[in-house]
Amino acid sequence: MPGEEIFYLSVTELAKRIESKKLSPVELTQMYLDRSQKFGPRLNAYARLTPEIALEQAKAAEKEIHRGHYRGPLHGIPYAAKDLLSVKGLPTTWGAKPYANQVFGYDATVIEHLNRVGAVMIGKAAMIELAGGMGYRFASASLQGEAKNPWDTKCWTCGSSSGSGAIVAAGLAAFAIGTETWGSIVCPSAFCGVSGLRPTYGRVSRYGAMALAPSMDKIGPMARSAEDCARIFAAIAGHDPKDRGTVPIDKGAFTYSPSVELHTRPLKIGWLVNAWKSLEPGVAKPVEAAHRTLKKYSASVKDATLPEGPWEDAGGIVVAVEGAASFRSLIRSGRVSELADPLGQIAGYVNEQYSAADYLQALKVREILQKKMDALFEMFDVLVTASQPVAATPLELNLETGLVFPDPLGGIGNLCGLPALSVPCGFTEKNLPVGLQFLARAGDDIAVIQAARAFQQHTDWHKRHPKIH
Amino acid sequence: MNNKKQSAISRREFARRAAMVSAAASLAPGNLLNARPLASRPQAQQPPNVPRLSPESQAEVDSRIQTILAQYGGRLSDAQKTDIRRLATEAQPPLDRLRAYPTENGDGPALYLKPLMERERKPAPAPPPPKPAAAPKNS
Repeated sequence: MPGEEIFYLSVTELAKRIESKKLSPVELTQMYLDRSQKFGPRLNAYARLTPEIALEQAKAAEKEIHRGHYRGPLHGIPYAAKDLLSVKGLPTTWGAKPYANQVFGYDATVIEHLNRVGAVMIGKAAMIELAGGMGYRFASASLQGEAKNPWDTKCWTCGSSSGSGAIVAAGLAAFAIGTETWGSIVCPSAFCGVSGLRPTYGRVSRYGAMALAPSMDKIGPMARSAEDCARIFAAIAGHDPKDRGTVPIDKGAFTYSPSVELHTRPLKIGWLVNAWKSLEPGVAKPVEAAHRTLKKYSASVKDATLPEGPWEDAGGIVVAVEGAASFRSLIRSGRVSELADPLGQIAGYVNEQYSAADYLQALKVREILQKKMDALFEMFDVLVTASQPVAATPLELNLETGLVFPDPLGGIGNLCGLPALSVPCGFTEKNLPVGLQFLARAGDDIAVIQAARAFQQHTDWHKRHPKIH
Repeated sequence: MNNKKQSAISRREFARRAAMVSAAASLAPGNLLNARPLASRPQAQQPPNVPRLSPESQAEVDSRIQTILAQYGGRLSDAQKTDIRRLATEAQPPLDRLRAYPTENGDGPALYLKPLMERERKPAPAPPPPKPAAAPKNS
């Protein structure tokens, strides 16, 4: 039995061993399955494990590789998919009781892409019910209950990609797929100490994924490093005629090679001075250290300021209106009462009441904001700040009264569909991870990858992992 | 970190909105220190600081609440009705700020409609080979 370290190897390292036939995809998959069976339930990390699918895919990968047909860096690599991505014949619950028995007859495009490159799906990751689309007051707003943070099981993983965060942080799979409408990749990545990429809106097809707010929903990888995120993103990105929100063919695809990326343009880095009103002291210290690291290795770090305006208000209204439309039948039928969370049971009734004129005003404000951000990106290639102003919160916290900070960057980034990458940058005094967030112009996903990867070449925070018992 | 002026958003409003959109879930340091496990989950909570609204905004909120209760009141408990009154009230200041933001008639909404093109459903047929130009009949 190999040591625990194998569970925390990057995709890049696992791929090298698999390609050189030093590591068997079947053995690796079985090891991750065993570990997931042991620790998954303790963390409420999975909606379900899929050992039959996993072993069948792993055996097929192994056979192909032995025949000399190596498909690339995800071939034979085990992963988990958030349980809002449909997998043919399997329950896809969206984390919510009203959909507990829902089964689709087709695979989501992201699953198809991952099948095509030979990745091995070992399970569906737990999530906040309806990705938080109806609101939630407690971390327990999930069919699986509250997802526990592997760094401290009395703390939450954040949501809504809660299981994805727990799985990657606990070494239960090599990577996971998450989704973000507002904060759902960046926050769990920060709380769980993993690297998470929220791609540009429209870069990854949502076909077969639950819709929350179709003009803001995005799908992205959560993994051990920015480089791993880039490799996974390269596998899942691209135009899809089945998702009319995807960008055109010539702007959708993403190719990645470390050598190409390291020789791209020098980045002008903007350090955001007004992204957060304040940082919790335990978070401020590592973030300040990260600022110093960036300045040490890049001469172009300058202070940057976000434009001011009702961006969060606009984003909130867009999500509320589109969410109410996405789940209209659930709201009108009264089946929202089956949701686990008391806020989720009623917020849809309020969100239904926004007027079309207010929604369109929000979309007008969105276009104004896009132009303002575009102007800011004339001065900077990448904007950087803390991923969150706080570290992981207690499981029992009432999020409605305990969540108390403005989040202009979350509003701006998601309203404009900008790419972001959160990477670990240190720990609080309680040994909880702290995240650093890189943000770039729409379509410039390579810039956040390049900046985050450069940061990880000078730090080793992404190589730390919790002790799992 | 810099404490530059933020948008005028109350902490409670943000918390409500953040929870609604599954945004980053976190808490302020003071609350972190004071956080204790809840013995039991509160049902409807009376907000400590209800937003102060203009008479017009308050009338709009009241009207919205009446609509909700007329349509769905029969399926809601008293605690849920109270909670809905709170949520509807807290939803108004963001709306007021959004409406107050100056936009022009010509400002386009960032709403994209991509008409369904036949070529996206099936590959376009190859164009027929060009015919040789006919000689003009009347030249």
